Amino acid sequence: MKIFFATDIHGSEVCWKKFLNSAAFYKADVVILGGDVTGKIMVPVVVRPGSFEVTLSGETHHLETEDEVRNIENQIRNRGYYPARVTPEELAELNEQDGSIDRRFTTEMVRTLDRWLDMADSKLRGGEIPCFVNGGNDDTFEIDDVIESSPCVTFTEGKVVELGGFYLASMGYTNPTPWNTFREAPEADIAKRIDDVVRQIPDMGRAIFNFHAPPYNSGLDEAPALDETLRPMHGGAVMKPVGSTAVRDAIMTHQPMLSVHGHIHESRGVTKLGRTLTMNPGSVYTDGVLQGAVIDLNEKKGKVTRYILVNG
Amino acid sequence: MATIGESVGIGGRSAGSEAPTLFLRKATGLVRGWSVRDAIIYACLSTNVITLGIYEFSYNSFIPKGQLLTAVLISAVWVSFLVIAYTGLIVTIPRAGGDYVWQSRILGGPVGFVFAVTGWWFILWLWAPIYGSILNVELIQPLLYTLGAKGAALYFSSHNGTFTICVITIALAGFLVSLGMSGYARVQKWCFAGGMIGFLTIVVLLLAFSHGSFVSSVNTEAHKIFGVSNAYGTTQVAAAKISYAAPGFGLNAFGASMLLVPMLMFYLLWPNWGSTLYGEVRGASDFKRVFTGMFSGLWLTVLLSVVFLLLMAKTFGWAFYNNANAAYWAGKATIPIWPYPAMLASWLVHNTAFQVIILLVMSLWFFGWVGTLFLSSTRVIFAAAFDRVLPDSAATVSEKRKVPMASLVLMLLPAVALSAVYAYWVKFQTYTLDATLVIAVTYLVSAFAVVILPWRKPELWKASAASKFKVLGVPIVPVAGLATMGLIIFNLYEWLSDSAFGVNNGPSLVFMGILYVLAIVVYVVARLIRRRQGIDLGLINKEIPVE
Repeated sequence: MKIFFATDIHGSEVCWKKFLNSAAFYKADVVILGGDVTGKIMVPVVVRPGSFEVTLSGETHHLETEDEVRNIENQIRNRGYYPARVTPEELAELNEQDGSIDRRFTTEMVRTLDRWLDMADSKLRGGEIPCFVNGGNDDTFEIDDVIESSPCVTFTEGKVVELGGFYLASMGYTNPTPWNTFREAPEADIAKRIDDVVRQIPDMGRAIFNFHAPPYNSGLDEAPALDETLRPMHGGAVMKPVGSTAVRDAIMTHQPMLSVHGHIHESRGVTKLGRTLTMNPGSVYTDGVLQGAVIDLNEKKGKVTRYILVNG
Repeated sequence: MATIGESVGIGGRSAGSEAPTLFLRKATGLVRGWSVRDAIIYACLSTNVITLGIYEFSYNSFIPKGQLLTAVLISAVWVSFLVIAYTGLIVTIPRAGGDYVWQSRILGGPVGFVFAVTGWWFILWLWAPIYGSILNVELIQPLLYTLGAKGAALYFSSHNGTFTICVITIALAGFLVSLGMSGYARVQKWCFAGGMIGFLTIVVLLLAFSHGSFVSSVNTEAHKIFGVSNAYGTTQVAAAKISYAAPGFGLNAFGASMLLVPMLMFYLLWPNWGSTLYGEVRGASDFKRVFTGMFSGLWLTVLLSVVFLLLMAKTFGWAFYNNANAAYWAGKATIPIWPYPAMLASWLVHNTAFQVIILLVMSLWFFGWVGTLFLSSTRVIFAAAFDRVLPDSAATVSEKRKVPMASLVLMLLPAVALSAVYAYWVKFQTYTLDATLVIAVTYLVSAFAVVILPWRKPELWKASAASKFKVLGVPIVPVAGLATMGLIIFNLYEWLSDSAFGVNNGPSLVFMGILYVLAIVVYVVARLIRRRQGIDLGLINKEIPVE
């Protein structure tokens, strides 16, 4: 069995489309998206009578036709941002205090996800190619029901899914970050969540852990050290481990066959923790490149026969 | 993690404008950009005026009519285009791994592998003994002689001594890598501050004392330390005996000075050495920040160089400075060790303790720099292992100490072997500029990548802040890439056609050729082995179709 694992596409439409095409491209039997599906940024497209205005990468565009607007909206989506058409009055009213920005974010997120799941239906041949998607710490809880309702994509949070004799166990929470994101929790809570899901696995030798947070101090969790103002220290040259100790403990205790992670985009790598092959394919979604791992599993022997990290 | 430009604040609105141009929700990695001050320090330490600059200035006699002052300025202007080109690459594809990532993504995996491993790994084996040699001539030798330990100094000038220092340098660099950058980055800042204090002290000395005082000091101290009489006069005579005539000092001789440019690349070609950036939200401010860091670091080095050259000409006398270097490299020097300018300046104060302190403080320029020797190599080795070109074990990190043992072995052992060649085969020491040439070739390929970037990756280019900077409607980054290619092709032509640079001789070319053949062989063998294992390395950078 061949699986393709990617993660942290953060709203990039081009990466989502590539993810949907990855099964055919890599001849994978199963595709898995490890979390952090949604974007972080919303770009207002200001609608005025007879014209539109949008600023992208510091450059302001004055547009006249619907085609021009659609073109720039596609550029925005491909970067992982959400275009939001607003009138000048609506724009002026959006603010943090009354939660209107968050509400608009959620609206755009859900609208985008709905559209993405429609695309999945056709690309995955109506569910013929198994596709598993989980939430990550940056994903709001509103996405859970949206994905759950899809006929061809399975939402995996807290579940163990059987894949041709292997067991995919998913948990999208991370240890606390400086940004106080949606699915993060203290290490003790993470450990409990892991226990709850791992308990469902009948054969640990055939288990695949799909935990968004990488194991602490594994080389898969190195991020630039930040000062108190969230500025990288020493020119970004100093990295420090920021993964989860609970995830590491779980891997070391249960020794699954394979453990796949994301969360720390620049810490792409592969390592062994005990007998467990552990990997983080990283993410460069802003470049429109889908990083991932193509992994071959031997059903008879219950082990990973080969893998490769790719920049699709 | 991500970087967000200074123009945008977390939670929402673009600073300084009336209407918001984007909204951010709370999410991981929305961090502020790294400080320009840090970037300047890294760039300035990489184009190290003390360890690399004045070491290379001493080779002026090999291009006898060239003017260092003119050549430094020409080089810096030309290298400024490299800074623009690399800023474009960094802002467009802001990934740790630098040239390896850029070349792999734009030109393909095999190209990226061959030119990254030669430029950022294999040739670092040669840099190791060069670093050791610089430590020897700028600290060990002058310090031991100043302290009266002539026997020890003589040992370290022998083949065995040179080898010992190389091994010490390699061990030191390996140790620092194994410690990680966290502590070393702090050490670097302190070293930079201390080194600058030492530099300013020398500036004050050279300003305060006259040429006459210097002549008298050289004669007094050289007699006290080396037992040499009339060192100033005999140095001038020694140069005359080898038919060397020092040029006058000035900002002239443009044509002849152009020939010094390939020599000065030894120190001025590295403002981009620490150039990694982590970012997801990038804008014009990031381009400006990255550019300002490298550009200011480069030009700070140039400023220090110009000050040093002017003051050496004033106080040492330009003829004496060049004669001392020419005689030293010809093996006819009166002063038996390399005429380290910091040591010569310290002689203006007739106090051994002061002279020792100056040597030690100036050595901070070395210690703030030596840790970077193998740092980039580890990253390239790891990246190649993750891409399955190297065995998985190359990326293993020891469980207890978190030391990248395999990659350290892959760097340290060949470096020790090459150090032995360097120490015991004197001719090999003239191949110093090979170390620059091989990295320059890597830069050439990256410069080519940035030139074709708008055509090879149009979407990536369009989305990049780099594409927004134009002059007369022409994007400046690809043009800067062309100018960088011009710089490197000019240097390659000179290195390979003029024997003054010590590069264009049989063994040197064979040595460099071996590095490229080795890289190609490793890649081809890896591809064959992986194919047999059912792994297609060609898949690594193949783009998944979007539609």
